[in-house]
Amino acid sequence: MFERRLWRNLDYYFVGGVIALLAIGLVVLNSASANVMPDPYYFVKKQLIWILFGLVGLVAVLSIDYEQLKHYHLPLYALNIIMLAAVALVGHEAKGAQRWINLGFFLLQPSEFAKTITVITLACFLDKRQGKLNCWQDLVIPFLYVAVPLVLILKQPDLGTALVLLAILFGMLYVSGANWKLLLIIFGGGLLLTGLALFAHFHFGLPLPLQDYQMRRLVVFLNPYNDGKGGTGEGYHVIQSQIAIGSGGWWGVGLHQGSQVQLNFLPEAHTDFIFSVVGEELGFVRTLGIIALYFLILYRMVRIAGQAKDMFGALLVGGVASMFAFHILVNIGMTTGIMPVAGIPLPLFSYGGSAMLANMLALGLVLNVNLRRQKILF
Amino acid sequence: MQGNINVHKRLVLVFLVLTSCLAIILLRLAWLQFVRGGELQQKALSNRLNVMPVAAQRGVIYDRNRHELAVSIESDYIGAFPPEIKDSGKAQEIANTLGSILGLPAQKILEKITSNTGFEFVERQVDYAKAQQIKNLVKEKKLPGIEVVPESRRYYPNGPLAAQVLGFCGIDNQGLEGIEAMYDKELAGEPGKIVMEFDALGHEIPRATHRYIPPQNGHSLVLTIDQTIQYIAERELDKIMASPTNPKKANIIIMDPKTGEILAMASRPAFDPNNFNKYPNSVWGNPLVRDAYEPGSAFKIITAAAALEEGVVKPGDRFYDPGYIKVGPDTINCWLPGGHGSETFVEGVKNSCNPVFVQTALRLEEKKTGLFYNYIRAFGFGQPTGIDLTGEGTGLLIPQQELKPINIATIGIGQGIAVTPLQLVTAVSAVANGGQLVRPHLVKEILDDKGNVLKRFEPEVERQVISPETARQLRDMLETVVSEGTGRNAYIPGYRVGGKTGTAQKAGPGGYMEGKYVASFVGMAPVNDPRLVALVTIDEPKGYPYYGGTLAAPIFQRVVADALHYLKVPPQYDSKQGSEEKPAAPVTVPNVTGKDLAAARAELEKAGLAARVEGDSGKVIAQVPKAGAVVPAGTKVILYLQGDPNRPRVPDVNSLRVTEAAEVLAAYGLQLVPEGTGQAGEQNPIPGTIVTPGSSVRVKFHEPAQEVLGP
Repeated sequence: MFERRLWRNLDYYFVGGVIALLAIGLVVLNSASANVMPDPYYFVKKQLIWILFGLVGLVAVLSIDYEQLKHYHLPLYALNIIMLAAVALVGHEAKGAQRWINLGFFLLQPSEFAKTITVITLACFLDKRQGKLNCWQDLVIPFLYVAVPLVLILKQPDLGTALVLLAILFGMLYVSGANWKLLLIIFGGGLLLTGLALFAHFHFGLPLPLQDYQMRRLVVFLNPYNDGKGGTGEGYHVIQSQIAIGSGGWWGVGLHQGSQVQLNFLPEAHTDFIFSVVGEELGFVRTLGIIALYFLILYRMVRIAGQAKDMFGALLVGGVASMFAFHILVNIGMTTGIMPVAGIPLPLFSYGGSAMLANMLALGLVLNVNLRRQKILF
Repeated sequence: MQGNINVHKRLVLVFLVLTSCLAIILLRLAWLQFVRGGELQQKALSNRLNVMPVAAQRGVIYDRNRHELAVSIESDYIGAFPPEIKDSGKAQEIANTLGSILGLPAQKILEKITSNTGFEFVERQVDYAKAQQIKNLVKEKKLPGIEVVPESRRYYPNGPLAAQVLGFCGIDNQGLEGIEAMYDKELAGEPGKIVMEFDALGHEIPRATHRYIPPQNGHSLVLTIDQTIQYIAERELDKIMASPTNPKKANIIIMDPKTGEILAMASRPAFDPNNFNKYPNSVWGNPLVRDAYEPGSAFKIITAAAALEEGVVKPGDRFYDPGYIKVGPDTINCWLPGGHGSETFVEGVKNSCNPVFVQTALRLEEKKTGLFYNYIRAFGFGQPTGIDLTGEGTGLLIPQQELKPINIATIGIGQGIAVTPLQLVTAVSAVANGGQLVRPHLVKEILDDKGNVLKRFEPEVERQVISPETARQLRDMLETVVSEGTGRNAYIPGYRVGGKTGTAQKAGPGGYMEGKYVASFVGMAPVNDPRLVALVTIDEPKGYPYYGGTLAAPIFQRVVADALHYLKVPPQYDSKQGSEEKPAAPVTVPNVTGKDLAAARAELEKAGLAARVEGDSGKVIAQVPKAGAVVPAGTKVILYLQGDPNRPRVPDVNSLRVTEAAEVLAAYGLQLVPEGTGQAGEQNPIPGTIVTPGSSVRVKFHEPAQEVLGP
């Protein structure tokens, strides 16, 4: 099954970068979560288990030639919809949203897997439509294709993950050779429309089909003290996060030393706002190193996509790269206060079982394409 | 693979976009960690420091005699530490308890005490009984995370007295109006605080330092206001407001013309600063410094001052008033139908004759374009006086470039110009004090909380507007207004009063409003050396009469009479004689002993002194007072002539002091044998007796009887 010669293709930089990020991530997670539960290693242990599960999944993904995935296009798409529909029907509710399915030992978050699955199914879908994505009518179909899971996710509600699906769609359409001018118009127009709609909502009371808190989160980064509660409402996270990062300076205040994290002023320090812990406790220089590692794996993914033996492979890796890039940029942008609070975690760092598992599977896809980049000569 | 090159191109582009995104994130990181690093570190620090404010005592406001006008009294506030409350898990229970004691909805309290902050006010300035009740519960540890903390509340012991001057304070003791707002920085002091280190859940961090930073109490103010005069003024305002005249508004302002100190500043309708929010906010401000009105005839003082100073009229100049005057195409009527006929300028002032003042104003303009306006500006109109109060108005002047002769003419009689009461009283004060425009002020001294004077506000002279001589001339004319003219109702028996009435129709949209007047009187007393300048304005009196002379002048009379008596200003009974009297200047007595009589007299006369001679011949051998003494000009110096040294005549030493008598007698070679102390009375031998040198003269001295003031 694993032919020895495949390993010659392995991108060591990519693998090294991922391992380094996972290791550093565990160290930071330890500091960020030490005060949350009575056992200071509670979250580290659980995260480690999920990494191990993830490795198993990754190896499993590697074991089959990615081209085989084409045969599972429709079953995978159906699985995705069923899982998300199940959430809507029998989902477990927490923090005002219904995103989980209680499996007894584990709260499964289908929306995390939905991202990876969407990458695969969309790759199948777009692979067949190469060169036929040059006009408006052509582009409507992929959008409708993604709209089904997207609407289900939006209903949970999980605006952040829904946006990730859009990012994946744009990224993969781009890789598939769709008319980039049209993509740019759709992207820019969408952004502009959203901005205008939000502006009209807040200034003229235009009704929008979103929860109030969601819309406030989208704009609160512009002035976190103007959240209607003097910075103690929707703006609180943003303010505390910036205070944490700003306190870091060149070298940080040291692991387990950050007052923002350790005294619990920074909410969600071990999940969505773990990057603020990096900023406060590790400082500018080390933060730069971590960003460089993320940049490295993104760069290597782009490279792997370019070297893929076929469009299907390029689409798979392009989708995963889009997903990672969006997560990384929006998460760091959120913690530093230049992007809306979308509530999406930092891949490989933030605590979360489903996310870790789904990310590891996605990385497995990348490696799969990487290893099988040459056509096998018969 | 098909289109491989294309894919490659696209991936490079993706890479570039990615790189630029990362660059933006790096810049943002650097911005947060370096540019804003210090500020954010400070915020992180203050995050974990829980601060309990400790109020500073706000300074007292005194009147000029150190009577308290505004004080701070202690009360309590209820503070909450939300993290501690959330931690206790009894938030709802606490909210219910506090709600029932304070009489507030529990839901509102719950929101406050579970907020995301370290500290919240539950309720400010809580009644003593309620605070005590909560204090007890806190002591019994039934209200975790709740604290009762002292704070102070502003109290105005005299209620509405001088309300528009004092202003008032808001809930945080911050000055919102009047002196309280203007001198907020001085009065407020620095609040102190108790700082404790806490985590986000409100757990005190072990070994963290607790710091107490004591508050710095505010400074106190001593106003120029005299509580008694203020009271007198407000008493009269209340009377007129309650009378059938029932005006819309009424104001009095009293100023010391020499220093610019405001002694009283009163306005109706007023409010009680202790409960200011129960009154409409339209009465909170101070109309005396804010609102402009047309002064009418009272402004003729300014016209006259400018004209006399410029010499365009002399007091004796003759005018003829047929009852109207034409200015270009317009006609201005005299208030007296048929006019005053032939009259001098002095009589014109006395009669408040419109044609006289129209001509006067036009003469000024004729002498030099803009001359009248220069004086109006020099007298301080059209700009704030610079009084130490917020919200001062400037009045309203027609822009000079739009000025037509008819405007000059009407401004001459006080129409077509709007002034604030404070501006007018300041300008008239310049006439009262010899021509100097002084800056009016309300605060005399700033004291620290121990009563030491930190700052004293000295009188500030802005400029000399008219000469002392012009001012004196004009004051005499204003006296005739009161003694014989339109202002007779302002006459105060025993004092020389000068002033001017004013009755102006109020302007509204589209011209003057029928039946709406401002009656006013501005005046000063005593005219020869004014101690007070006062302005009374009655806004929209109801019915008839509505004249300044009939409505405002009597109020001026009562207020100023009481104020003069209160200030113990000595009365002058004969106003005619008084006008010739000049306070004598002090002079030094020259040494004339040893000179002959003629030379001595000449020397004394040169010094401005008179002489009384004792004895009939010879040189001056003694003088009383002695050389070098400082006495009022015109004092009589007694000159003792030697006569025959061998047969001296006993000199008259009546009313001399013991030492003076001894010296005079010694000069004649005689010896004093005094009896008693004080001033010399009977003497033996009697004056004029010829005695031998060396004889004794017995003189009885008495303490003079208490002098009686006045005739």
